[in-house]
Amino acid sequence: MIVLEYILLAGVIGCAIAAPLCRRLLASVIVYITMALLMAVLWALLQSPDLAITEAAVGAGVTGILFLLTLKRIHALRDRSDA
Amino acid sequence: MHEDRRDKNLRRRLTSWVDGEREPKDQTLFVMEQRPPRRARQTEEEFERKDRDRLQKFFNWYPAAAAVICLVMVAVLLIAVMNMPGFGQADNPINNEVSDRYLKHGREETGSENAVTAMIVGYRGFDTFGESCVMFLAVAAVMILLAREEHRPADADTEEPEEERADLILEQAARPLIPFMLLIAAYMLLHSETTPGGGFSGGTLLGAGLILTSAAFGAESAQRLLSRRQYSAVRTFGLLAYGLLYGAYIFIGANGLQNHLTRLFLLLDLAVGLVVACTIYGFYALFSRGRI
Repeated sequence: MIVLEYILLAGVIGCAIAAPLCRRLLASVIVYITMALLMAVLWALLQSPDLAITEAAVGAGVTGILFLLTLKRIHALRDRSDA
Repeated sequence: MHEDRRDKNLRRRLTSWVDGEREPKDQTLFVMEQRPPRRARQTEEEFERKDRDRLQKFFNWYPAAAAVICLVMVAVLLIAVMNMPGFGQADNPINNEVSDRYLKHGREETGSENAVTAMIVGYRGFDTFGESCVMFLAVAAVMILLAREEHRPADADTEEPEEERADLILEQAARPLIPFMLLIAAYMLLHSETTPGGGFSGGTLLGAGLILTSAAFGAESAQRLLSRRQYSAVRTFGLLAYGLLYGAYIFIGANGLQNHLTRLFLLLDLAVGLVVACTIYGFYALFSRGRI
């Protein structure tokens, strides 16, 4: 089980580093949501299910929705021509 | 002698002021005549040069100031860290009797088997009240900024493209998902005394269910579920109910009366859940459409 925790930790750190480095904003948001979900699994493994639920619901769900809405508002989702 | 004259002078000025003979001191009416002659207007090049000079000065100072501020902050934080107790020592201030008491007596004192719920709603209930107030005010602020008028046909045509047709995949995926989301949210809200979850996460799930309804089936079906008036009523009711119930809880407990309100946590969690769900759904609705 400890191996799984380390794998998840590596994933969280990797996503955290990758999120601001993504060129497309949509990809950045998706990587951020991935990080929150990995974090939620990690919280569950660390025996804090309350935090896991909240992280999955707020960190992944609501924050992601608000980010995507913002991207839609500033018309960043339509732009596919960035090289 | 001198004093006397000044005194008389003052009195004369006062009487004339009271009688309305003296003109007001700032002479607002005649300000056009008193304005100093306007300076010659500086030319474009002069203006640009001055602006560039100022910018240049700013950029000269900017790295130095940034470095100084950074170093000062680092020094302050390092000093603060050095004064903190060492990591993992037994006599640290965080290892005090409070957490012991929460874990040992939480169940009999609050009647909640879940220690997290006991802490969030019981021991630290006023914190939760403050957080609920923050959420309430946040939605109110967003409403003030973004909420559009209900009946204004003038900009109705310009906003029409925002209302996109619902996606078929999203609709079909949402149809079986929404009941389960609402069910799990209800379970979390009603069962938080014994299982993980509680007001915040259950309320978030409830709000997410509303968001999914609104996104998949359009604003009308979500409004049928929760109209604007109902939304405001539920939001306010949640906050008021929490404040009143927790006030009663604290009042009864603090006066040494026998506590008959051990099942109160259910209602408290429900109230928090309503506020959180309304906050999240309100953010979505206001950001996406500008109305609830």
